[in-house]
Parts: sequence; C-alpha cells; structure tokens
Amino acid sequence: MRNAFAETLLEEARKNPNIILITGDLGFGVLDKFQNELPNQFINSGVNEQTMMGMAAGIASTGKRVFVYSIGNFPTLRCLEQIRNDICLMNNSVVVVSVGAGYAYGSQGYTHHALEDIAVMRALPNIEIVIPGDPIEASSVTSFLSRSSAPSYLRLGKSDEKLINDSPVSLVPGKYNEIKRGKEGTILFVGSIGKIAIKAEEMLRSKGISVSVTSAPYLSHPDRVYLEKASKIGPIVTVEEHSIRGGFGSSILEFCGKELINAYVRIVSASQTNLSQIGDEDFLRTANGLSAERIVEEFISLLGY
Amino acid sequence: MIEQPNRFSSVSELALAARREIISMTASAKASHVGSALSVVDILSVLYTGVANTSPENLEDADRDIVILSKGHAASALYSVLSLQGFFPNEWLKSYCGNNAPLGGHVTSKGVPGVELSTGSLGHGLPYGLGIAMSRKKSGVFGRVFVVMSDGECDEGTTWESAMIAHHYNLDNLTVIVDRNGIQSLTLTEDTLKLEPFEDKWKAFGWETRISNGHDYESLSNALSKSSKPLCVIAETTKGKGVDFMENSVLWHYKSPSKEDIERAFSQLKES
Repeated sequence: MRNAFAETLLEEARKNPNIILITGDLGFGVLDKFQNELPNQFINSGVNEQTMMGMAAGIASTGKRVFVYSIGNFPTLRCLEQIRNDICLMNNSVVVVSVGAGYAYGSQGYTHHALEDIAVMRALPNIEIVIPGDPIEASSVTSFLSRSSAPSYLRLGKSDEKLINDSPVSLVPGKYNEIKRGKEGTILFVGSIGKIAIKAEEMLRSKGISVSVTSAPYLSHPDRVYLEKASKIGPIVTVEEHSIRGGFGSSILEFCGKELINAYVRIVSASQTNLSQIGDEDFLRTANGLSAERIVEEFISLLGY
Repeated sequence: MIEQPNRFSSVSELALAARREIISMTASAKASHVGSALSVVDILSVLYTGVANTSPENLEDADRDIVILSKGHAASALYSVLSLQGFFPNEWLKSYCGNNAPLGGHVTSKGVPGVELSTGSLGHGLPYGLGIAMSRKKSGVFGRVFVVMSDGECDEGTTWESAMIAHHYNLDNLTVIVDRNGIQSLTLTEDTLKLEPFEDKWKAFGWETRISNGHDYESLSNALSKSSKPLCVIAETTKGKGVDFMENSVLWHYKSPSKEDIERAFSQLKES
C-alpha cells in the first residue's frame, strides 16, 4: 500500500510543484524515487516529529500541499498538539500519512502498533480521516488527497497487501465501495484488515449465508444511503484493525444514532489483551480477535443460525 | 486596511502608547500576563516600525516579512502594536477577551489582520516559522521570518529541533528573537531549568547570535540586521518593563491590574 501511495504521489507531484513530501527519516526504499526525481519537493526532516509537523503546517501556509510521512504513532500521537493547533485550527493544507496500520509491524512490538490513532484523530475537528482497503484504493485516495486542500489523515497498511478490488476504483467521500453484494447482512471494514472480511464472506457463503463486503475508505463521511439500505437488509459487522474505543465501529454507531438509522451493529476490533505479545501480523491479528472466524461467529449469533 | 491617522513612525511613541493599551485592556478583561507583554512590547514596536517589512498594505504580498509571536500569552502586546499601526480598529482592544470578541487572551489569528499564527501552547511558533522560511528558500521567495519567543519557552524540545533544521538548511531568512527577561512561570529561568550558557547553545547549533538590550531601539534594530546564517537575537529585557511595581515580578505573570494599579501605572507611562 505504501508503494501505491508513493507512486501515485510522485505522479501527482510531477504535475503539481506545490506538492511537498516530508519524511521523518523513514521510507527506505519507498520514497527514494520521489526524492531522486523531485528533490526540491522533498524534505527529510530528521527524527523530530513535533517540529516536523509544525514545519509542515508552516510550509502549507505558503500555498503548498504538504504530505508528511512516518510510521503509525509517530506522525499522529507523538505530535498531536501540532496537528491540533497548527494544522486543524489554522486550516493548513497538510496530509498526515501514517504507514503500518494496526499490527502491520508485527514482531517490532507495541511501540510500532497503531491501534489508537483513529480514535485520537477522530477526536480532532477539521481533519478528514482516510483509510484505503488495498493498494488500488490507496492509489485512488492519494490522487484525491493530492487535489484537495483539506487537512487530512491518511492511514496506510504496509506492503504486499492482498488486492481486494480487481480493477481501479474512483473513490469519493460519502460513498462506500461495495466489493461483494449479499442478501442477509453486511461486513463494513476499513483498511487492509479487509482481507479477513473477504475470507469471512467466503466462509459464510459456504454455510449458505450471503453477506455484502464493503470498504469505507472515507471514514469521516459515512455513506448514509448505503447504511440505511444495509440496516434494512440485516446486521452490520464492522471490522477495523484498531481499538474498539473511538474507532471506526464507534463512528458508525454514533452516525446511526444521530441519523436515527435503526441498525444492528457489532464491532470486530483489536482486543489488546496483551500489549507486550510478540508475533507476526497474522498471529497478532488472530490473537487479538481479528479473524474471519470471529466475523463468521458474529453473523451466526446475530442471524440466529 | 484601516485609516488610522495616528500610525507611528517613532518607536518610542508606539511603545509608550502600546504599554498604556496593554495596561488598560488587561485590566478591563481581568486578564493575565501583563508582565510578559510589557517585556516584549519594545521588540514588537521595533519590528512594526520598519525593521520588519510588514504593514496593513502588504499583507497579501507573498514576499512580505512574517512576524510570529510564539509566546502567545503576550497577546495584549501584539494586539496593541498591530492596532496602533493600523492593522485593525482600536475598538477591538476594548473588547479583548470578551464574548464573541475578535481578540482572545492568547494570540488568535482568525480574522485578525497581521497575525500569522494562533499561539498559546509554547514551542509552536518556531517550527511553523521554520516551515515558512524553508518553503520560501525552496521557492526563491524573499522576505524574512521573525519568530519572537520567550526564554522559558526555550525549555521546549522543538526549539532545539528547529535550531538543528534551520542550520542544516542554512535558513538565513529566519530570525529568532528571544525575550530574555529571566523569569518564567514560577520563578527565575535559571532556578527552573538552566538555559545558560544560552548564547553558546545557539552558537553550537550553528546560528549567528547577537545580544541586544531588548528595550533599546537602536540596539535592537542593529541586532536585527540581516545575517548570512539563521540568526538568534537574545534581547535582554525586564519583565514588566516600564511600570516599577510590575518589574521583575512573577506575580504580574498572573495578576490583572486594579483601578489603583492602572492609575499608578499610567502616572509612570508618560512621554518624557
């Protein structure tokens, strides 16, 4: 996903010299091409996320569209107040890009697991949260964000994600991307964890249960029409590689409550039972309740099979 | 732009008028930080009488000089100087901190001509100014960036991160002015967290440094001339300067002047 981001951003930046990419000394092998081809649009700030983010806001204030790239918690939690004051309050045109959502950094440990960032960014006003489900979606949203000026948070997976979409998509805020259509319920997901949603759909189908699988990349803009329809069809299971506290599922519940959409919603999220647990991405996902089997269980209990 | 017939070209007249405004607005709003404002007001007065190329007429110019007051708690000083120099109506000072008023207790930029950045949490102004200076360098846009900081603010790590970056990119268009009054929130800076050897620190980070008397207009103006490196001017100041009972006192970081205090202060703030 990070490569899809880097390639698309380079394409956009070739056309628009006002696009600036800043890295907090990360992106080995990912950003090199951008740096070599457009050195005047690239800055490696060093290891200093707070200053980097304030600096990004200052650069944006001169009419630039600034992308700031780093890993998970570093460009989000580490410099939260700079995002709040210098970007959101000042309405500066910065895209905070975090790579390695959820357990993508696996055995690197909890410091590198991004499991609270959605909640923290959702708490801020005036910033759009964008979470693509695969490299194809990453490419689409990167193009969109390159042409927007809104303060934004782009949450990316890492590398070698399974393709969920089979052809290029053109995603827009307020519209979900339905990947499979079913008749009895909906799996609504954000991010590369969508691959377990795809698997769950297959498992349910083999049991004779038909559900839709849908990506919600523009998290800040729920698709009201889709949610209204989905809520009439059957239960909705949300899936996110993030804590249940203030994450994607929580945003859907808030939206349905506020908009009086009468939906049965279950949240599948990271349980965070052992913060120090070591293991690879798939192991940690499963150990923290993020598995296709878990989604299947939710549907079976909700549908009363 | 506001037609303001009494715009000041004399620094001393501007600073005196601004000091009176600071006392009045802080008292009527029952606000804090009068000592911090009196400490920095001469620095701002020097900047806004010609040292910084910024005026109500050139706010849309991409190459104007930028002034950022990073010590946002000294808002009353910035607002007073900007208003007196015609950036916005003097009436705005009278509603300082009021409900729905344009001017808040910490520097607010939205809808306030001449204010480049909302500040209040320390350590934000320098990274932001650094970004503007960096962008201008990359784009070949002229115009200097002045960031006015407090000395206590230099406890913040972003100060030294920014100092490294400015040196690395040789941002000679960036100037920091430290309002070195030696007092921070609870006591002296040197009793809180030692800043000294302060000038050596900046030098070691690759900056040109100049020490100036922060209440002497000629000294400040000379110290602020352009440099071939990022420039740090350490402006030695007195917290509460100009009102004897407010000088060098932590109390006036917090206290708002009473009616009696205003009279006493005004009796000292007269043209000599």
